[in-house]
Amino acid sequence: MTLTVESVNSRIDEICADYPVDEASLIEILHDISSEYNFLPADALRRVSERLDVPIARVYGVATFYKGFSLTPRGKTIIRVCKGTACHVRGGDRNLDELQRILGIGAGETSEDLEYTLEVVNCVGACAMAPVVVENETYHRNATPTDMKRMITGEGSDEDEGGDE
Amino acid sequence: MPEIIIDGRRLKCEEGETVLDVCKRNRIEVPTLCYHEAIESWGGCRLCMVEISHPKWPGWSNWVTACLYPVQDGLVVGTNTTRVRRLRATVLDLLLARCPNSSVIQKLAAEYGVEDTNYEPRLDGDNCILCGLCVRVCDEVIGVTAIGTANRGASKEISEPLKEPPVDCIGCAACAYVCPTDVIQVIQTPDYRVIWDRTFDMYKCVECGISHITVEQKDWLIAKDNLPADYYDLCDICKRKHTAEKQKELSML
Ligand code: FES
Ligand code: FES
Repeated sequence: MTLTVESVNSRIDEICADYPVDEASLIEILHDISSEYNFLPADALRRVSERLDVPIARVYGVATFYKGFSLTPRGKTIIRVCKGTACHVRGGDRNLDELQRILGIGAGETSEDLEYTLEVVNCVGACAMAPVVVENETYHRNATPTDMKRMITGEGSDEDEGGDE
Repeated sequence: MPEIIIDGRRLKCEEGETVLDVCKRNRIEVPTLCYHEAIESWGGCRLCMVEISHPKWPGWSNWVTACLYPVQDGLVVGTNTTRVRRLRATVLDLLLARCPNSSVIQKLAAEYGVEDTNYEPRLDGDNCILCGLCVRVCDEVIGVTAIGTANRGASKEISEPLKEPPVDCIGCAACAYVCPTDVIQVIQTPDYRVIWDRTFDMYKCVECGISHITVEQKDWLIAKDNLPADYYDLCDICKRKHTAEKQKELSML
């Protein structure tokens, strides 16, 4: 995927057209850009700054404030391993180790083919299902290293998804 | 008019003032790092902590930031109590860990008995204490918002947008001026000024030739305040001279 300034600009203009020209629209627009590109391209931030008439310094501040936004390209599948207290206590680290081993990337990194991004997060608000691993929008509860392998390689089925303790 | 007691002195104050305002006016020293009278208080550095109590609320006392706390009739303030000094020592200990090489912080810390930090010093960092004065002056006072903060928590930093030389900067150097720890570098020559990795041409007084403002700053101010295009052609000194001469002429008429 090559991103030209022109293509980014026209896409951002489309996105911005859905929102009032107001600083308050910023976060929602950034969300839309993030789901479009999986990250926030610099040109997109520049364009948003122009369109909303919000200084780029402020746009950049918001874009870097939230963990949910990334300024570097991310993979199609984003895997977030929870290392919050509950998940940590219940062995979240082992899932992280396994994912790093299979994907060959460390936490915070993206695979070269832009397929996977691996992230560590602190509590996704689902402690009762600890340890939790989130694959895009899917929550894997009581996740084990075997589940991780199955998730990536597709071996076996995901039937125990949502299974009980 | 409310009255408060600071360190045993009964002092008159205005409604809506902060404890720090009253201290300043009465030359009661309270250390500050993130405060500037031209900028709205933020309460970030926690160095201006004072102890408060009130005769109407017996048994109650609290610590507050003097730069934010509004005066209230009858308030009793201690600016230099043992507990206040201990609190400030902790704040300075933390700041010293963040900026072990800053002479400003070293000096302040020493005044509170902190020679070496008890925390892990950040040896590879700069002297920025994240007081945010630079960002706030640029935004609130100058009105250009060329720089901002990036990230948050432990990785928060003052940053140029997109880590590039800030496009909106007009080279006024107000950020460098308010920085309490002198982090922001400015190179000044008669012809140009370098700041934030950008070079700005200086605008020279048509009369004495002294450069008194950057070209971008001049254009910005003229547009912002709707001034005549030649408003900054004279530097302040030459402007004053002109006014004086004019007055003389007038008085001789
Ligand atoms: S600690 Fe992992 S979901 Fe709360
Ligand atoms: S001066 Fe009051 S908190 Fe910094």
